[in-house]
Amino acid sequence: MNIALIFYIIGRVLQIEALFLLPSVVTALCYGEWQWWVYLATAGSAALLGQLVCIRKPRNMSFFMRDGFAAVALSWVVMSAVGAIPLVLGGDIPSYTDALFETISGFTTTGASILPDVEALSHAGLFWRSLTHWIGGMGVLVFLLAILPMAGGSHMQLMRAESPGPSVGKLVPKVRSTAKILYLIYLAMTAVEIILLLCGGMSLFESLTVSFGTAGTGGFAVKNSSIGSYSPYLQWVITIFMAMFGVNFSVYFLILMKKFRQAFFCEELRWYGLILLGATGLVAWNLYRTGSAVGMSFAEILRHSAFQVSSIMTTTGFATIDFDLWPKLSRCVMVILMFIGACAGSTGGGIKVSRIVILFKAGLNEVRSYVHPRSVRTLKFEGKPIRDEMTRSIAVYFFVFILIFTASVLILCRDGKDLVTNFTAVAATINNIGPGLAAVGPTQNYNSYGLLSKYVLMFDMLAGRLELYPMLLLFYPAMWREQGFCSKRTPQ
Amino acid sequence: MKRIKQKPDGMKIIIVGCGKVGATLTEQLSREGHDITLVDMDAAPVEILSNTYDVMGIVGNGASYSVQREAGVDNADLMIAVTGSDELNLLCCTVARKVGNCATIARVRNPDYTEELSYLREQLGLSMIVNPDMEAATEMARILRLPTALEINSFAKGGAELIKFRIPQGNRLHEKSVADAAQILSCGALFCAVERGHALSIPGGNFVLREGDLVSVLVSAKDIRSFFGSIGVETHQVSSAMIIGGGRTSYYLARQLLDMGIRVKIIERDRRRCEELSTLLPKASILHGDGTDEQLLKEEGLARTESFVPITGLDEENILMTLYARRISECKVITKLNRMSFRDVVAQLDLGSVIYPRYITAEAIIAYVRARQNSIGSNIETLYHLFDNRVEAAEFCVEENAPVIGIPLSKLSLKKNLLIACINRGGQIIIPRGHNHIEAGDTVIVVTTHTGFHDIGDILR
Repeated sequence: MNIALIFYIIGRVLQIEALFLLPSVVTALCYGEWQWWVYLATAGSAALLGQLVCIRKPRNMSFFMRDGFAAVALSWVVMSAVGAIPLVLGGDIPSYTDALFETISGFTTTGASILPDVEALSHAGLFWRSLTHWIGGMGVLVFLLAILPMAGGSHMQLMRAESPGPSVGKLVPKVRSTAKILYLIYLAMTAVEIILLLCGGMSLFESLTVSFGTAGTGGFAVKNSSIGSYSPYLQWVITIFMAMFGVNFSVYFLILMKKFRQAFFCEELRWYGLILLGATGLVAWNLYRTGSAVGMSFAEILRHSAFQVSSIMTTTGFATIDFDLWPKLSRCVMVILMFIGACAGSTGGGIKVSRIVILFKAGLNEVRSYVHPRSVRTLKFEGKPIRDEMTRSIAVYFFVFILIFTASVLILCRDGKDLVTNFTAVAATINNIGPGLAAVGPTQNYNSYGLLSKYVLMFDMLAGRLELYPMLLLFYPAMWREQGFCSKRTPQ
Repeated sequence: MKRIKQKPDGMKIIIVGCGKVGATLTEQLSREGHDITLVDMDAAPVEILSNTYDVMGIVGNGASYSVQREAGVDNADLMIAVTGSDELNLLCCTVARKVGNCATIARVRNPDYTEELSYLREQLGLSMIVNPDMEAATEMARILRLPTALEINSFAKGGAELIKFRIPQGNRLHEKSVADAAQILSCGALFCAVERGHALSIPGGNFVLREGDLVSVLVSAKDIRSFFGSIGVETHQVSSAMIIGGGRTSYYLARQLLDMGIRVKIIERDRRRCEELSTLLPKASILHGDGTDEQLLKEEGLARTESFVPITGLDEENILMTLYARRISECKVITKLNRMSFRDVVAQLDLGSVIYPRYITAEAIIAYVRARQNSIGSNIETLYHLFDNRVEAAEFCVEENAPVIGIPLSKLSLKKNLLIACINRGGQIIIPRGHNHIEAGDTVIVVTTHTGFHDIGDILR
């Protein structure tokens, strides 16, 4: 384990975080809030601390997969720990655990909040909360890769550990260029959304924060009613952008490269669209038939169902309506969507459409193999054969996911809440959505959970965002033991 | 993290074939900051390489149009085809020429094509054809002509040679500084690099040489014999060679040796191949037998032969045969190694001259890439990696606007650990001193521990 290099990376991450804290200083100054110095001081100390760690460049550059995973996992933990400080010092969230929960929820683009009254927060606090979504959406290490030239294989390991999806596809041969292109697409799409929201009469502050929340598929809103109080135009804009940020970014790259055919024939995109439309139709039909949306026109029902389906499937977690009050079928659809999640290579969380599709096909193949034991049929995804190795790794991923999920629900049950609450609380955090059902529904919050449960949920959020393994490796003793801290003892 | 001097425009290179040469090229070219896309039919090597280096990998047939499109041949600058099959390589390059407008390099090894290489190259519009087996054979032949040398690299189209040898026990150079050594020598020669133990240095005038040092000396080709004469080392071309293994390299080597008037004996295991070789090389004596058979080697006069060259496909066998030959014979030995692993261990063995064919190929291609990337200022003519990649010797072609022209060398502020070893002015080899200067049209040989020079201007601080 190359501890020196991992520290170096964490140092750089801290400096980038310091950079991202500065807009909150400006926000505080604009609104004449006293918290500006809190953000400035945190930024200053983070930058200084980062610089101290980075003063000596590590001499040993060898960097293996486990170093990459450890660097990413630790970076996220440290980043969240530092990000929580201004919320406490600024008086927005007095308890550090709660502030940490809120920050992790921000960075992992979950949007699960412990705040009963969001509107009571300072503008600087609200802005920082939303900005964490934007940073976490594309990933801070990817940002690091885009701006910092690094040698050797370290790029690949970092990118692999942070990017969502079963396999990391590079857009162009170099990681650095890939990271740059990703961030440019991300930035451009966010900017377009901000402009469209401004056109709809939203204030600058709100359009910035809401856009950050959408882009990162986060879900922190600046109003207690989330998105409910905005005009239908704004809600539609947000619906569409949520769906767009849930799409694999390589599709946008292909469009930029004018390879439209390839872009639209992307199999994952088609499944994603199909599920999105199907679920919207199902929910709308269910709401219309059961008459649970009394006094609403069909257009309104459609708008709410489209918004909510898009919000949950892309794992954003905005709400225009309390979907906890919906009929059972619709609620069930919501929970299923939570698990499916967005496309691989997007900013969204969840298990990812591509994994689900491959697992589904593998399942089908298995059934077929009982009917025709000698049939040979390779799985195909995106027109390419899927190797057994890949299927196996996805199946194991799925199992590990369920394992963490189950263990978390078990621990949460200590707090004496009902099963629906616990189940959806874990589902909404590990899939990085935000609101669940019942006592953690869209109008509720996570504050009523005990200390242990909160930390479990924090772990779930990080594990979900980083695709499980980086976080699990932190707790795997052999990772630290073998060549870890003992490396000095080995000769030469 | 090491900050790499980022060249603003790395070339877009597609490498088809992830074998030994493909992997070496990937390693070196990605280190030089190019955008590399790998293509191979087998997923495993692509995955390993793209996880290790900053490159993109595609699994598929590199000669197919759609795979090439996916690899971005439209915008690529260079396509390098180094799969195991000559025909596939040529097809890859032909397709790439038609689809994209990129330069192409193909590896062609089959002796059937060697006579037609330049015809093929022109007709198919290739930029370069590399033949590692032939190049390895040429290098071996060069060493056998001068058995004292462990390694010979030639520059200035053969006009100057960089010779690596070990200073023998009790030699005149022992305990002489480099400046004093110049007095002994009857001709111009420049000590370019010295390895003592593991330490490597680019020697200055007051560096003291010792016996047992590995030194690289740059000498004009016509002065080589007088150079060795003046330091008291007798050296003459070998008169006989025993080659083990009858592969392609053996064939190329035997042909060159026979042309030089050296008696050649080839021992090959496969009866069929023996017959083929006998048809191709009527002047050589071909023996059917196992080269690892001690009895056979003794019987065929290993003790009396002047040189011994094991070129089987197995590194381990080659090494063992070399070590055996060292024990019972005084002959010159050249060992061919294919794999790069455990180079430290191999370096400690007393193997005589060691040749890595895939390095030779990779060097030729990298020299081409660097020259192509750099269209202004100057071009790299040849490039060699010496002393386990720790030293680079590059030959630059100096053009009109280069920043080094007309200034006496002693006035140039050169980088550290760098030597201007030789100036070739229209075929005349100048071993430079402080008062010499570089002119436009010269080719200049630079020896340095820095890597990645693209331009003669890079030598300045």
